[in-house]
Amino acid sequence: MDKETKLKIKIADASASRYIENNRFTIQSLAQQLDIEPSVIFGHFPNRSAILDYFYESRLLLFAEDLKQIKGYSDFSLSEKMSNLFYLLIDQFQQHREFVLLTYKERILSPNCSSGFQKTFVRSLEEIFSADVQISSTASLCKGRFLYQSIFCHFHGLILFWMNDQSQNYVNSMALIDKWCSLIEEIYYSKIIDRGFDFTKFLFYQSPFSKMISKS
Amino acid sequence: METFPSTKYQRGKIFAKTGFKVGKNYAEHYLKSLALGKKNKSELHRKTAEDVFGEFTKLRGTALKIAQSFSIDQGFLPTEFSEVMTKAQYKVPPINKSLVRAIIKQELGKFPEFLFNDFDPEAIAAASIGQVHKATLKNGKKIAIKIQYPGVRETIASDIALARTLFKSILPRGSEVDPYIDEVKTTLLLETDYISEGESINRFHKRFSNEKVITPEWIPELSTERVLTMSFVDGVHLDEFLTGNPAQPEKDHYGQIFWDFFHNQIKDRDEVHADTHPGNFLFTPDGKLGVIDFGCVKKFPEDFFINYLRLLPTHLNRDEKAILELYNRLEVLKDNPETNAKEKEFYEFCKHYGFTFAMPYLDDSFDFGDNEYKDLIRNYTRNAPVTTEPRGNKHFIYTTRVHLGLYHFLMKLGAKISTVQSKELLEEVLTEFA
Repeated sequence: MDKETKLKIKIADASASRYIENNRFTIQSLAQQLDIEPSVIFGHFPNRSAILDYFYESRLLLFAEDLKQIKGYSDFSLSEKMSNLFYLLIDQFQQHREFVLLTYKERILSPNCSSGFQKTFVRSLEEIFSADVQISSTASLCKGRFLYQSIFCHFHGLILFWMNDQSQNYVNSMALIDKWCSLIEEIYYSKIIDRGFDFTKFLFYQSPFSKMISKS
Repeated sequence: METFPSTKYQRGKIFAKTGFKVGKNYAEHYLKSLALGKKNKSELHRKTAEDVFGEFTKLRGTALKIAQSFSIDQGFLPTEFSEVMTKAQYKVPPINKSLVRAIIKQELGKFPEFLFNDFDPEAIAAASIGQVHKATLKNGKKIAIKIQYPGVRETIASDIALARTLFKSILPRGSEVDPYIDEVKTTLLLETDYISEGESINRFHKRFSNEKVITPEWIPELSTERVLTMSFVDGVHLDEFLTGNPAQPEKDHYGQIFWDFFHNQIKDRDEVHADTHPGNFLFTPDGKLGVIDFGCVKKFPEDFFINYLRLLPTHLNRDEKAILELYNRLEVLKDNPETNAKEKEFYEFCKHYGFTFAMPYLDDSFDFGDNEYKDLIRNYTRNAPVTTEPRGNKHFIYTTRVHLGLYHFLMKLGAKISTVQSKELLEEVLTEFA
């Protein structure tokens, strides 16, 4: 991770903490807290809102950075890779839980929200799915924007669950991620659709309809 | 009061005329009469087993623990049960690698890459409530980390409630299952508290780690209620040990340590390692017995435990009056067997099984590799009246598990052991309470 990104993340983290103290904080007070000039902050962000949005987007940059530390990540299964993404985001959110509780709906769920987080999230999913060679052939046809958007919607459900999770250390949220990702993996690794397609193709070629087509 | 003096052994031997062989014949004769008098129960057992495990598989995680608690996996129940268990895919899948990382981060504050010099993401052992990973500390010390599956503790109450309904639907109406189920629930909840297990590890390490037995050491600074870190005990499990075709003296060596470890626990009348499952014992390269997993340790009430131990000499002496008295004290019988035919049948079964079970204590040595003895025990378990209501004090759940586990382990190992020291030890304990 380059120096500039590190600084941007530092600013975003500080803004999340500052927001809890005063949700109308100024760039000046933030700069004072970080012991930098306000111009440095303005050099990276046009306004306060952009910093708060970047907080979410930067969690995915931290995720990408974390991947470099994991030994044997490329051997992880689909479920393990997906859950790794969700666990890391939950872990990052947990460190700023109060901020996330106050802003997630407004900044991520709202239809008018900035799409930086969504774009990076979808790109991360795309990378996970496209690198997986165990996905069945027919299920591969279902990979694409619709799938990633739908997982993103489910992710909102997960975050809402985590927000209301009363279990110690949020173990129920962790269990939910595990079960959800296992289910997705089961669907995508299943060869049942491949077999069904093969079977239907065979029946079609044996049918009089197929012979009629080939004659014509 | 009954004690465990050698004179009583002698009397037991005299009763059995020429000792062990006649004792076996006597037991075999009883078994034959039992088999002739009853219809083949195989189909009934299979149906019951399918009913039980069909439901148990729905419970997942803690189901295995519940099954283990009732000694279902140790051949206590008929063979059909273990066959169905295998068919029912009664195995626990390992926790996903990302979840392992997340749990470690959640519990210990850092990801494994930052905490350890080396961390193996592949589990070396997976059980119903958690799994174990091997790692190396920054100082080079090898450790084992047990990670609990999230939400296990929270599901115990509901799983136990389901098991309670299940048992009540299978067992005859009016059967008293609640004390047994409650005992299992209490033990299971304790098993999910890894701090408590860490403390048990320390206590057992103090009591038993010596030149023959090795137990792990707890590392509290890397442990929480859901993550348990301990020193790594190197060794192989029973199956792997047997694959190497070990010589008989080697089998006897480990068998003797195992037998003595079991009896030394009795000597202290303190806690007992109550999970005598082959997966919890290791054969170390330096000839020691590795004892691991201290999640299930029990301290039995003294009156129950002493009466339980008294069963051994009392059965060997065939003192019917004393046997009857002990059975009543241990809540094995519900009515007078002289006036109740069903109780009589149960009493006869327990009496004969008890004698067979006490056989290893008859002479100064015992060969657990003796196939005739294995068949005898297997036949008793096959003919056990499992479809009747549960019997005996609730603490039998774990004493049976420990004792049966010991026998099954030694029978599988095929070890010949000396019982002299263990008999003296039992005699000492029983004399103290005479």
